[in-house]
Amino acid sequence: MNDTFLISIVTFAYFFAAFVFLVSIVLHKKPVDKCALIITVAGLTLQTSAIIMRWIHSYQLGIGHAPLSNFYESLVFFSWSIVFVYLIMRKRYRNSLFGMLAAFFAFLILAYASLSGSVNCAIQPLIPALQSNWLISHVISCFLAYACFVIAFGTSLLYLLKIKIKVAVLPDASFLDEVTYKMISIGFVLLTVGIITGAAWADRAWGRYWGWDPKETWSLITWLIYGAFLHTHLARGWRGVRMSLVSIIGFIAVIFTYLGVNYVLSGLHSYF
Amino acid sequence: MLKKLNKLFSSIRLTIFLFLSLAVTSIMGTIIQQGLPVERYKALYSPNLYSALKFFNVFDMYHSSWFTALLILLSINIIVCTSKQIPRTIKLISTKKKEIADTVFRSLQIRKTFQSKKELPEIERQSEILIQSLVGNPVKRVKDGTSYFFSETGKYSRLGMILVHISILLILAGGVIGTMLGFNGQMNIVEGNKSNTVILFGEKGPEKLSFEVRCDDFDVEFYETGMPKEYKTDLTIIDDGEKVVSGVMRVNHPFVYRGLKFCQATYGVAGETDFLIGARNNQTGKKTVLKLNVMKKTALPESNNSFAIARFVQNQNSMGPSVLGVFLEPGKAHDIFWIFQNGRNTNQQQKGGFTFTLEDFNTLYYTGIQVSKDPGVPLVWIGFCLILIGFVLSLFFTHKRIWLRISGSQEKYEISIAAGVSKNRKTFEDKLEGLIREITVE
Repeated sequence: MNDTFLISIVTFAYFFAAFVFLVSIVLHKKPVDKCALIITVAGLTLQTSAIIMRWIHSYQLGIGHAPLSNFYESLVFFSWSIVFVYLIMRKRYRNSLFGMLAAFFAFLILAYASLSGSVNCAIQPLIPALQSNWLISHVISCFLAYACFVIAFGTSLLYLLKIKIKVAVLPDASFLDEVTYKMISIGFVLLTVGIITGAAWADRAWGRYWGWDPKETWSLITWLIYGAFLHTHLARGWRGVRMSLVSIIGFIAVIFTYLGVNYVLSGLHSYF
Repeated sequence: MLKKLNKLFSSIRLTIFLFLSLAVTSIMGTIIQQGLPVERYKALYSPNLYSALKFFNVFDMYHSSWFTALLILLSINIIVCTSKQIPRTIKLISTKKKEIADTVFRSLQIRKTFQSKKELPEIERQSEILIQSLVGNPVKRVKDGTSYFFSETGKYSRLGMILVHISILLILAGGVIGTMLGFNGQMNIVEGNKSNTVILFGEKGPEKLSFEVRCDDFDVEFYETGMPKEYKTDLTIIDDGEKVVSGVMRVNHPFVYRGLKFCQATYGVAGETDFLIGARNNQTGKKTVLKLNVMKKTALPESNNSFAIARFVQNQNSMGPSVLGVFLEPGKAHDIFWIFQNGRNTNQQQKGGFTFTLEDFNTLYYTGIQVSKDPGVPLVWIGFCLILIGFVLSLFFTHKRIWLRISGSQEKYEISIAAGVSKNRKTFEDKLEGLIREITVE
């Protein structure tokens, strides 16, 4: 069995989980939420196996490396991170709505990875620059950070829906606001770890920890935007619509750091 | 004036302004490519725009005076804010006379007061359980017939944010030291050659090292796809004409000497040497292998004629590596023809009764080394470590403190609670409400 085949099952599982979460929101029934959770956990387990399988397979091909090294692999890990972060946050903020958001985002990313013709899903050999022990810690911390920001983006959108259109099924505005803040503060710390591990790696590879290449600069821009968010929240007591907008702007910066730099600008991170 | 400056630099507004200014200008720096040769910019922009951008140093904006000014302002902002925060935090975490304090019941954010008709020992027992489950082991003090309970945990988490801000200052300081005392550049050395010249990035000219670097050998391995798998250089440092140290430099594994880091950045082909040319005599069938370099004439065996290589081509007519051979016969004009590997195109490789083939050749590589010196790096690493410790302190620990006072007398005790938490206030308050309900229930 092939790992990309497993991923297509996972894609379907996340879509199904998102749907069941939606049903749970509409019916307001705990067992349905539980059901959706089981599907999500099954999806994540299967996805984890697929990632491990791909890892083993790369060794069998004689080009062994962690499956975190090209665009396809990064998309798969991105969706994994979103679901993983959701399961962690669920311990404190149990809400079918967040489950639906996480599963749906994870589904979208996997669907893009599998269906888009431009994403090459073959296991490729690793170029020398990527052969480093820093690869795993750098990629994991960055994508967990991105996952937190995705969820914060979702809760910010929900907040705006709640305030502006007054959608009744949504949770309390202050609750959504709090979740946004929590996800951003955790994401911010993870992004800091990602930037630091990246700097340590760059120092080994190019002899400088910071070189203002577009990817590095955009990660700093993202860091500054979320840093501004945290300062206004903690020191000036900003809440609500303004914070949701900052969170959305921050998320645009995340997407640009991840994709825009590679497709729009040129730089050293061209392989990722 | 001083007061105004103090107010300006201790304001979060300034912080936000600086964050956003740095972000917006950095975006500009990623759109306008940095550090390109002047001609490229002149081709990209109109003369007026070019002069304007040049004036503001936009082509190397991260090192421009105005970008540096923003970073200096940010540093002053952090210094002023942190130096104000430190005494407050010390006051907050110092333990002097904390157990008995009546003022907290008016000043702290979380305050509750309620009555109970239970017996005093029972109230005290339940109060201790409440404090225990919310914060930690309580300390009991009695003063003028009033009982006080106090407990506190995680007070050092308050140091987290201070640590984070000090770390940022250290990282910025490390960056300044690196920019002022360090350099970063490239040197390309052909196998067997040595050099002491580093071409600095950003058109800053060459930097002469006090020693020489020799490239003893360069090796590159390829995957089946033709993509490079690994490349490495054997280096020797020659100081004062003497060999000092040798070592291997690979991608992601730099070679360090006297605080200078040599990183394997690129490689390339400098040329080809030691061509082995097979010359088979068509009559006798005897094959001789000639070893020669480009433009070096050699005599052909059992003949008056001679042979030379004019040049090498990596892939001639899609038939692979090839050399342009020159056949020299005394008294005649020289004759040139292509020679391929394995006799791929034999008709053209016949000259004067010989069939020539390209047997082998040696590729001469040059190694591309990125050389850097940065005395600020240790400071930056310390900053990185401290920032992580700071985040862990403030993220995973919460400063909680609680005071509980039981006053009054039998049948009508008044219980006051005051508490403060550094975060997750709502969760704390919900839990507190629940526990109070347990005490008040008859």
